[in-house]
Amino acid sequence: MSEVIFEVKNLQKWFPVKRSLGQLLRGQRTWVRAVDGVSFQIKKGEIFGLIGESGCGKTTTGKLIMKLMDPTGGQMLYRGQDVTHLSPEALQAYKREVQMIFQDPYASMNPRFRIREVLTEPLVIHRLGGNEQEKLALAADALTKVKLTPPSDFLDRFSHMLSGGQRQRVATARTLILSPRFIVADEPVSMVDLSTRAELLHMMKEIQQDLDLTYLYITHDLSTARYFTDRIAVMYLGRIVEMGPAGELIDHPLHPYTRALIAAVPEPVPGRVNVIKEIPIKGEIPSAAQIPAGCRFHPRCLFATDECRNLPEPELVQAEPEHLVACRRYKEL
Amino acid sequence: MKLKDLRETLRDFWGEFRKVRYGMVGLVMFGLFLLIVILEPVLIPFPETGRRWRDITYWEDNPKNAAPVWVNWFTRKDYTPQAVLDKPEISERKAANTQMVEAVFTYNYKYDLPPIDLLLRATGKGLLNLAVHLERPDGLSIELTKKSIRLSGEAPVRLSLDKEASGAVGDFLKTYEDPDVLRGVSIFTVKPVEVFFARAEPGILRNPVPLKGEYRIKLTCVAVGSGAFLKEPALTVAGRVFGLMGTDASKRDIWSGVIAGTKWALLIGLLTSAVAVIIGVFYGVTSAYFGGAVDLVMMRIYEVFQSIPLLPVMIVVSAVFKPSIWTMILMMCAFFWVGSVRTVRSMGLQIKEEIYVEAAHALGASRGRIIFKHMLPQVIPYAFASMALQVPVSIVYEASVSLLGLGDATIVTWGQILHDAMQGGAVLQGIWWWIIPPGLFIALMGMTFAFVGFAMDTILNPKLRTR
Repeated sequence: MSEVIFEVKNLQKWFPVKRSLGQLLRGQRTWVRAVDGVSFQIKKGEIFGLIGESGCGKTTTGKLIMKLMDPTGGQMLYRGQDVTHLSPEALQAYKREVQMIFQDPYASMNPRFRIREVLTEPLVIHRLGGNEQEKLALAADALTKVKLTPPSDFLDRFSHMLSGGQRQRVATARTLILSPRFIVADEPVSMVDLSTRAELLHMMKEIQQDLDLTYLYITHDLSTARYFTDRIAVMYLGRIVEMGPAGELIDHPLHPYTRALIAAVPEPVPGRVNVIKEIPIKGEIPSAAQIPAGCRFHPRCLFATDECRNLPEPELVQAEPEHLVACRRYKEL
Repeated sequence: MKLKDLRETLRDFWGEFRKVRYGMVGLVMFGLFLLIVILEPVLIPFPETGRRWRDITYWEDNPKNAAPVWVNWFTRKDYTPQAVLDKPEISERKAANTQMVEAVFTYNYKYDLPPIDLLLRATGKGLLNLAVHLERPDGLSIELTKKSIRLSGEAPVRLSLDKEASGAVGDFLKTYEDPDVLRGVSIFTVKPVEVFFARAEPGILRNPVPLKGEYRIKLTCVAVGSGAFLKEPALTVAGRVFGLMGTDASKRDIWSGVIAGTKWALLIGLLTSAVAVIIGVFYGVTSAYFGGAVDLVMMRIYEVFQSIPLLPVMIVVSAVFKPSIWTMILMMCAFFWVGSVRTVRSMGLQIKEEIYVEAAHALGASRGRIIFKHMLPQVIPYAFASMALQVPVSIVYEASVSLLGLGDATIVTWGQILHDAMQGGAVLQGIWWWIIPPGLFIALMGMTFAFVGFAMDTILNPKLRTR
C-alpha cells in the first residue's frame, strides 16, 4: 500500500495568450497558468481524488499525466521512472499502462464505431490480443467486468444506442482491456444520471479492488469524492491548497477554500432544499492569466489579512499527519 | 479474414441502402445509364456514331432539323417519318457485256405532309444507265429521271430525286396545274417530291392534297461493259420527322449522339469527380490534422490552385497539345480537387478536437490511425455528396470547353451536342429536340449521383439512423 506509483513534482502548464501587435512589439508575453506548481504522490492501490472548481486546472493535470500535452515545467514519475519527456517507444509502453476515462461518455467514443471496434481499438493500436476472435473474447470479457451482460447484446451496437451510464461502462471497459495499472478518471460520473452514479462508482471500485488498480479521480463533486476516494487534493487556480485523507479532509477542512466548497454542497434535507446557503467565500474565481499576488486565494477569502496579500505564497505544510494545507492562518480559523 | 469482414460490411451496407427509397431510385437510374452504355450497339441506329459524328457524309441521307417521330401524336397533320427501303423486288438479266437490273420499291404513303426527298443508293461499277419511274396509287406513271454514270472502279451511287426530277415535275405540273398559276412560278422553286405525293388536280402547287396509298418506285439499270454491275439498291424516304429524338442542322441523329455520349459523360463525371474529391479530402484532412506551419503552407498552395481559373489554362493546354478527353480529365482533376478542401479542412479541424480523437491519442493511436480511422470516415458522407455534385459540374465543364471549340473531336459528348445546338441557333429556331435530350440527360445524370450520394449520407452517418 505504501509504494508510490505516480509522483508529480512542481508540475506546470502555461498556455500562451495571443498577443496584440503592441504587445508583440514590446516583447510582452502573457500566460494562462492553468497548472502552476502541483506536487502530489499517488500510492499503489489507492484512489486519489483531485477536486476543484471548473477552470482550476484539474483536467489539465489529468491530460498532462496522460501525455496528451507537454508540461511547461516540473517532473512526473511513474513507478520511479521519469515520464516527463518520453521517446515514442517509451510513450507507447507508458500508454499501455496508464489509461484515461473521459468526462463526456457521449463524445469520448467515435460515433461511427460499434462497441466491438471501440473496445478492440486499444488492442489494435498496441498490436495485442492475437487474432480477431481472441480480441473479441477480450472485449466480451471487459464488458463482463463492467457488468454489461450478456456482452453479445452490446458488441454490435453503436455508442449512441446506449444510455449515458452504459456508455461510461463501455469507456471503462475500454481502459481495462489493456490491463492497465493506473487509470485517470476525469469526472467519469458528472454527465451521468444521478441515479446511476453510485452504481457506476461502485462498479469502478470493485474493479479497482479486483484488478489492484490505482485511480486518479478528478471531480468537482465532493460527495462522490468522499464516497469514492481514499485521499483528496483540493486544487484552486492551478495549485493544491489542501491534501489529506478523504474523510478527515471533508469532516475537518482546514483551508478556507475547502470549507467554502464543502458548504456549497446542497443538502437534500426536507424543509431546507429551497434555502440558498450563505457560502463563506466572495467574488468569482479570477482568471488564470492574472493570478493574484500573495496567497492566490486572498481576494475571495473572508479571513485574509495584509500578510496574506503581501507575503509570498504559502507552501503546503503538514497540519496533521497525512493532512497538508497551504494556508498561513489555518490554526487561527 | 479481412475479405470476409469486407463482405459482411458490404452486405450490411446493402441492407441499409435498400431501405432508402431515393437511394434506390438513384441506383436504378445509375443501372439504366450503365445498361445504356452496355447496350449502345443495339440501341443506336447509326453504329458508327462515335467515330463519325463529325463526318457529314455519314449523315447525308437524313433530313435536316427534323423533329422526333412522336410529334405526329400531337399534331393534326402527320409528317412523313424517315424510312429506309432496302429490300426491293429485284429482277436481273444478264447478257454478254451487259447486266440489267430492275428494282421495285413499294412505299405505303399514309401521311399528310410529304417526304422531302427520295434517295436512291447502290453500289456499282462501269457504265450505268439509270432510269427511275414512279407509279402512283392513282395509276399515273411518271419517269422521274434518266441518267448515265460512269464509274471506273466499284463505287457508291447516290441519286437525290429531289434534284434529279426537276425536269419531270415541270411536265407533270403542265399537265395538271392551272396554267395561270404556273406562269408566276419559277420551276426551280418547286420541290418535285412534294408534287408527286399530291393529288393530280389544279391547286397541286399551292394547296396540295396528299394522295395516300401504295407508291412503287422502279429503278432500272443497264450496266454496260465487262464487269459492270449494280448491286444492293436501297431507297431512303427522307422524312420530315426522324427517329426518337430528331436530327440537328448537320442531319445527325440526336438519339444516337446522346446514347453514344452516355459513356463519355459517365467517364468524365465519375473519373474526374472521384479523383478530384479523393485528392481534396486527403489534402483537407491532412492539413487540418497537422495544423500550424504545415496547414499554413498547404493552404497557400491550395489558394494558388483556387485562384487560377481553369478555363484559360485548359485553352492554353488544348492549344499546345491536341485537345483530347484525357488531357481534359487530367486538367479538371488537377483543378477540381480544391472544391472540397476548405469544407473538409474545417470538418477536420472540428473532428480533431473531438474527445474521441483525444481518447485515441490517450490510447496511443498513431497519426495514420487517427487520420484514417477517426477523421476520414467522418468526411466520407460529405465526400460522396460532393462527388455526386462534382459529376454534373465536370460534364458541364467539358461542355464549356467544347463550346470554345476545344473539345475532343474524336468523340461525341452531351456538351458538344449542346454546344452545336447553341451555335446552330436551336433556341431561336425552336429546335427543342436538339437541346432538351442532352440537357435532360445531363440533369438526369446529376440527379442519379445526387440521390445515391444523399442516400449514402444517411447511411454512413449513423446519427441520422433510427433503430
